Amino acid sequence: MNTLPESYRRPLFPRGPGLGLRTALLALISLALIFNDTRGDSLRNVRSTLSFMLTPLVWMASLPGHVLSAAENLDTRETLERENRELRQKQLLLETRLQKMNALEAENRRIRELLASAERIEDEVLIAEIVAISQDPYRSQITLNKGTRDAVYRGQAVVDASGVLGQIVDTGHQRSRALLITDPNHGIPVEVNRTGMQTIAIGAGELGLRLPFLPSNADIQVGDLLVSSALGGRFPAGYPVGTVYELKHLAGEHFMEAYASPAARLNQGRQALLVWSESYLVGGDVDGAADDEAATPPSAP
Amino acid sequence: MTSTRNLLLGFTASLLLAIVFQLVRLPDILAAARPLWVPLVLAYWALRESRISTLLPAFVAGIALDVLFGSPLGQHALGLVIVVYIVERLRGIFILFPLWQATFALIPAWALYSFLMFWVDGATRHQADAWLRWLPVLSTTLFWPLLFSVMEALRQPPEDE
Repeated sequence: MNTLPESYRRPLFPRGPGLGLRTALLALISLALIFNDTRGDSLRNVRSTLSFMLTPLVWMASLPGHVLSAAENLDTRETLERENRELRQKQLLLETRLQKMNALEAENRRIRELLASAERIEDEVLIAEIVAISQDPYRSQITLNKGTRDAVYRGQAVVDASGVLGQIVDTGHQRSRALLITDPNHGIPVEVNRTGMQTIAIGAGELGLRLPFLPSNADIQVGDLLVSSALGGRFPAGYPVGTVYELKHLAGEHFMEAYASPAARLNQGRQALLVWSESYLVGGDVDGAADDEAATPPSAP
Repeated sequence: MTSTRNLLLGFTASLLLAIVFQLVRLPDILAAARPLWVPLVLAYWALRESRISTLLPAFVAGIALDVLFGSPLGQHALGLVIVVYIVERLRGIFILFPLWQATFALIPAWALYSFLMFWVDGATRHQADAWLRWLPVLSTTLFWPLLFSVMEALRQPPEDE
């Protein structure tokens, strides 16, 4: 029997705009949105409102991750003991290094006072957890569980235990999204630790970081450590960014390129540190190099 | 008899579930082959139910995905709207096909969706290479019979009455 259910109220000759017209309309709206969103910043508020409304979905999606990590926490006694031993050794090692560090820091402060410099070694930091939700696999981004509520601002540097992770590109009320340094859209001013040479490291996806346009006689070697530079006022100076693993001389070019592997463990950690940079704390704004990305009004972090 | 209210409820629930599935973190190897859950579910409803309009929900779900993934607003919305349009347009043909035939017939729709994502990414100067991008087309095709049967089974009991 081929009967329609009673609730089937679709008229035989549908009124209103047809399917094709509606599709065309919605597709046009989408295209306009894409255009607008890539050109300007006007949709940022819409985006943050929507992302606040979608928080329950994100929470639901991160549940399996939480359960998994809880299951991982149920370790055997043996692994715990081993881990404990390793950590104790590491702590001993670090403590000895720290003793020297204290002295160095004091010395550094004295010297800087002599130079009348405003720079400090310690930065304001906040620990944020990396939310276990998947991002587009073709974009190197992470989501953090701190947002404007914790005075996180756009352009803020994110570091982990071993180096610079990236910077905040999008803030919500309780969440923020960070672009990793390996994303092709990301560039970070770096300094070669050995020579003090300043340059820029651009993300290169799988290849790590790319240092383009180095003079062909630049003093840079495989194994050189790159640290973040305060040029541009966005990143705090002195955090490790990566290690050079390849130098490429391009035949017939005046420049050479270097490739570096990032120091931070980009895909592994669960926590990240948000750092309030010097210029933000002192000047109260993210300055010049930050172009259009003026952050939220500065409130004391 | 399924009332329209129940129908809408089921529709919304399945759509939300699809978005959550799209978000759940998978190991890196599997993540590249994650099926396109939202287009799958939307295509199912567009194919099976003429009583509800899937076009506007597709747009809204697309915007939600854009916000969640941080892609340019409208990217996923565009892809979803177009997939739903194609499926709804060809519903008359699709509905006559047996399941396996429909599975194959839908491959171009998934491919088009993937291509649109790829294209917008390229146009907005995001990294847009990697052959892995086409992997979801395969996995989505494999998941279609599964999703279709599960949804049919879920929806069957009330219709028996």
